[in-house]
Amino acid sequence: MAYSAEKAQEKRRGFLDPRTKLALVLVLALFVMGGLGGDQLKGIKTILSVLPFLLLLIERQWKRFARGVAMLIVGYGLLLAMPYLPGILNYLALMCGGILTRFVVTIVMGEYLIATTSVSEFISAMERLHMPQAITIPMSVMFRLFPTIGSEWRSIRRAMAMRGIRLGGARAGQVLEYQLVPMMTSTVRIGEELSASALTRGLGAPTGRTNICRIGFRVADVLLLAGCAFAIVVWILELCGVTLW
Amino acid sequence: MKNENKLKGRDLINIGIYGAIYFVILFAVAMLGMIPIFLPLLSVLVPILGGIPFMLFLTKVKKPGMIFIMAMIMGILMLLTGMGPWPLLTCAIAGILSELCFKSGNYRSAKKAVLCYGLFSMWIFGNYLPLFTDYEGYFAQRADYGQAYIDAVQKLMPLWMAPVLLIACFVCGLLGGLLGRAILKKHFEKAGLA
Repeated sequence: MAYSAEKAQEKRRGFLDPRTKLALVLVLALFVMGGLGGDQLKGIKTILSVLPFLLLLIERQWKRFARGVAMLIVGYGLLLAMPYLPGILNYLALMCGGILTRFVVTIVMGEYLIATTSVSEFISAMERLHMPQAITIPMSVMFRLFPTIGSEWRSIRRAMAMRGIRLGGARAGQVLEYQLVPMMTSTVRIGEELSASALTRGLGAPTGRTNICRIGFRVADVLLLAGCAFAIVVWILELCGVTLW
Repeated sequence: MKNENKLKGRDLINIGIYGAIYFVILFAVAMLGMIPIFLPLLSVLVPILGGIPFMLFLTKVKKPGMIFIMAMIMGILMLLTGMGPWPLLTCAIAGILSELCFKSGNYRSAKKAVLCYGLFSMWIFGNYLPLFTDYEGYFAQRADYGQAYIDAVQKLMPLWMAPVLLIACFVCGLLGGLLGRAILKKHFEKAGLA
């Protein structure tokens, strides 16, 4: 008989293994955003660019999906409107459009990774990759803190804007000191509480960790990982000067 | 003695906390780099602003290895955000150098801390390396940003800029370290954080 917690974990299990998600982020960052590879990879890049959006749909992340699509539309809209704009606006539209269309996909993939992976899943995946704790613990703390820093920063910005400390405000010169410093102070405070709670739960203990999260490769993972490997092989072949099609 | 020098959970979590703050600042500033004029200026802005969290981080560093791990994590994050594998290399070198520097001051010396941050900042140069190692290829990949963008960047980034940028990273790292220390004294010590 399975424990109810185990059943709950099975239900909560994501569509993909965290390791697959990481591999996808890496491949997207290298090929789509980094722009590696030439003509041979064009088709693969297009398929790769659609993937994160599909994944968001599968995981029912409607809001994130809508935001990603909206950014893409703005990007392509700028590119389409570009020929009709006068002088300097023309260049600006081309630049912003080019940058947006290239970056959005990887940003969406990163959002997907962060939104659908719990910290325990992440740690457990990293352990199976045999990453040393010196890397996994700081990394998982960072992934946990990014959203916190974002929301802290937003509230501090709002509070300071009321006193005129904002870009373009009466005391714009003080932005740096009075926005960064409180942001850091509160993040460090939150981080210290986080570290106390993680330590009481045995993070960094010398013995091995057990983990309730179920992760592992399934059909979708295998397919996507094979796709990533394929993209890399095509790229290496291209570097060696082999023409495939 | 040996056991005391081993990194514990709390040290690793501290790396995560300050690494997260450093990375958020870095990322916010790096977004400016989309505008051509800011691309070379990143080697000025990032070290200066990053100095504040890094100097705060150094007050928590008492054991060998922490600065090096911080540097390697920055390298990994750069890889994940599409800067390619070069930053990993510069991060390793800058990490070792700054680690040795801070260690020579027994993890206490304030002067060494500023110097340490200057050395650490040199990892940022790794983000420029793809531009200089493959000048033609770099711009071919960015053809879709438009000719105006490419012309602007090429004008700002001739090949001789490479050593200038590296030195700029180091010097601005020193300035950032000093700024960080001033802010540390003014705010964080009062708040009981440093």
